[in-house]
Amino acid sequence: MKSSIMKYSNSFMTVVMLAIFVVLVGIASGYPAGARFMPFVIGIPAIILGVAQLALDARERWRREHEVADTRSEIEKAEETVSRMVGHHVDFKISHEFMAGVGDEIPAEEMARRERLIWGYFLSFILGVILFGFWVAIPTFLVVFLRFQAKSSWPMSLGLSIGASLAMYFFFERLFRVVLHTGFVTDYLLSLLGR
Amino acid sequence: MIQIMFGSLYAMLTSPHIMGLMLLGVFLGLIVGVTPGIGGRLSIALAIPFVFGMDMVSGAVFLVTMHAVNGTSGQISSILFGVPGDGDDAATILDGYPMAKKGEAGRALGASITASGVGGIIGAIVFAVMIPILEPVVLAFSPAEFFLLAILGITFISFISGAGNIVRGLIVGLYGMILATVGMDPQTGTPRFAGDYLFLWDGLSLVTAVLALFAVPEMIALGIKGGSISSISVEGARYSYRQLFEGVMEVPRHWWLALRTSIIGAIIGMIPGLGSSAAAWFCYGHAVQTSKHPERFGKGAVEGVIAPETGSNSREGGSLLPTLFFGIPGSSGMAVLMGAFLILGIQPGPKMITEHLDLVWTLIWALVVGNLIAVGFLLFICRWVAMLTFINGAKIVPFIIVLVALGSYINEGQWENLVILVGLSVIGYGLLKAGWPRAPFVIGLVLGKIAEESLHKALDLWGVQFFVRPLSLGIIGLIVATIAFAIYKSLRPAKLFGGMGAVR
Repeated sequence: MKSSIMKYSNSFMTVVMLAIFVVLVGIASGYPAGARFMPFVIGIPAIILGVAQLALDARERWRREHEVADTRSEIEKAEETVSRMVGHHVDFKISHEFMAGVGDEIPAEEMARRERLIWGYFLSFILGVILFGFWVAIPTFLVVFLRFQAKSSWPMSLGLSIGASLAMYFFFERLFRVVLHTGFVTDYLLSLLGR
Repeated sequence: MIQIMFGSLYAMLTSPHIMGLMLLGVFLGLIVGVTPGIGGRLSIALAIPFVFGMDMVSGAVFLVTMHAVNGTSGQISSILFGVPGDGDDAATILDGYPMAKKGEAGRALGASITASGVGGIIGAIVFAVMIPILEPVVLAFSPAEFFLLAILGITFISFISGAGNIVRGLIVGLYGMILATVGMDPQTGTPRFAGDYLFLWDGLSLVTAVLALFAVPEMIALGIKGGSISSISVEGARYSYRQLFEGVMEVPRHWWLALRTSIIGAIIGMIPGLGSSAAAWFCYGHAVQTSKHPERFGKGAVEGVIAPETGSNSREGGSLLPTLFFGIPGSSGMAVLMGAFLILGIQPGPKMITEHLDLVWTLIWALVVGNLIAVGFLLFICRWVAMLTFINGAKIVPFIIVLVALGSYINEGQWENLVILVGLSVIGYGLLKAGWPRAPFVIGLVLGKIAEESLHKALDLWGVQFFVRPLSLGIIGLIVATIAFAIYKSLRPAKLFGGMGAVR
C-alpha cells in the first residue's frame, strides 16, 4: 500500500504547499503591520523551504534515474541490520501469509477507482449530515458502507448500523445532552409539517 | 513535594470518577492496541472530542492511560501470529514468534505483558526522579526561550518524522503554525484568514484539524486497502495459564535486564528525535550484546521478548517529560497527546512545576496504576483480545468516519467545521500519499499560538536582543545542530535502524 502511495509525485505536494503559503502570505500582506507580522515570520521561510524542496525533489528524481535501486523489501533490509548486530543470520519468520499480502501492488487504475469510491462515501456522508442531520446520515451511511463496501450480509449490516446508531443516540443526546446538527433539509421539511 | 506526590495518589485512588475513567482508558487502549488500522495517535485523536468537556485532571488521566497501555497489547499478534502491530512490536517478533512456534506462546506472552507493565512503571519512576533535576532549568525559561522552544519542537519532530528529509517536515510544521494564526489577531484585533466567517474568528478548531490530518487519511487508506488477515495460521497460538504464569516469572528472573532496558527506554523517550521504535530495537541490541549466549537470539530467547517490551513501554514515561515541561513532544503520538492537553487547558512549560505539580504527579501515578491494571487485565483476556487481529479493516472504517464527524461537530457545535474537516482531509491525504510527515502539523498548530504570544512578549521585553540571551543561544545552537545533522544524515546512505523508527 505504502509503496503504491509513494509512487505519486512528491513534487505535486511541494507545489500545493508552496501555493498555499504564497496565497496566505499574499493575503496577509493586506493586513495592518502587527497582524501580518506572524504570518510573514512563518510564511516567508516556508516559501523558501518550498523552493528548496522543489530542488530536492528534482535531485531525488535524478538519483532514482541514475542509481541502481535497492530492490530488497524493508523486512529484508531490517533482517540484514539485525543479523549484523547479532552476529548470525536472523530470519524474522514473520507469517508468510501475512508477508504475502504486504507490499502487494494495487494496480494504478484499481487504486484510483477505490480512492474515488471511498472519497465518494466520505463526502456523501458529510453532505448527508449537513443536509439531513446526523441521525439520518449515520444509519444510512453505516448500512450502505457495510453492505456494499465491506460486503457484510444484510442482517449484519442492518444490525450493526441500528445498534451503533442507537448506542450513539443514547450516548450523545440522552446521556451527554448534546444536540447534534439536524440538517437543513430535515429542518425545512419539519417546518413545513409545522414543527 | 512528598505531600503533593502522595496526595495526588490518594486523590486519584479515592475518586471513583477518575478510577472509572482510568479503567475505561485501559480497556480502550488495550483494544485499540491490538485492532488493526487504529494506532495509538489515531485513538488519541478520536478521543479528544470526548474529553473536551472534562476537567483537566480527568481528561489527562484518561488520555495518558489510554496512550500508555496501547503498546502493551500490540505485541500479542506479533507473538501469536507473527504479525507486527507497529514498529515497536517488530522487535518482539524476532524471538516471540519462534517461541510460539515451539509451543511456548504462553511463556512468551506472559513475559512480554509483564515486561511491558514493568517498563511502563519504571519509565514513570524515571520521569519522577528527573523532576527535581529539571526544575531549575524549566524555571529559568522566559518567553524568548519558549518561542525558540516552539521552533525547536517543530525541528525535532520534522527530523524524526521526515525519514531523511527534514525540509518536508519543516514545511508541514510551518503549515500547522500558519493555520494557528487563523482568527482574531490578539495584537490588532484584525481577523486573519477568516473573512466574514464568524466561526473562524476564534481560530481553527484544533480537534477538526487533528482529525482531518490523522484520522481521515488513515481511514481512507484502510478503506482502499480493505480485507483482513484472516488467512494467517493460528498454529502455535494455543497455550495454558500455567505457561502464561511461567512467562510472568521470567521477568523477575531477568530483573537486571528488565531494569536496564527500562531505564534505557525512558532515557531514549526523553530525547526527542530517536523515533518510536528506536527504544525497542536499541534494547533488543543491548540484550544481545550483553548476553553470554547471543546465538540464542532470533531463535526464541525470552530475553529477546523482555528487552524490547520494557524498552518501548518505558519510553512513554520518558517522553512525557519534554512534552509537559518544554512543549517538545518526542513522538507523533505525544504530539497528538500534547494537542489534547492544550485543549484541556494544560499549558506545557514552567507552570507545570509552579502551578500544576499535582497534575504532573497524578499523570505519573496514572502511568503506574494504568500499567498495573493493564497487565492484570491482559493476562486473563489476551486469548480473546488476540482475536481482534482478524477484524476486517473495511468494517472498522465507517464507524471511525462517523466518530470523526461527530468529534469535529461536537467540539464547537458548528456544522461549518465539517466543511473544514473535508478541506483539511484532502491536504492530509495528499501528505499521506506523497509520503510526507503529518506529525509536525499538530506541533505547529498547537505551538503556533504559544509561539506568537511568546515572540511578542520577548520582543516587547528585549527587542531583537532576545536572540543573544545565553539560553536562547543554546536553543538556537540545538536547532542549527538538528538541521545540520539531518542534512548530514540525508547525504549519507542509511545505517543502523534507518527506516525503522520513522513516525508519520
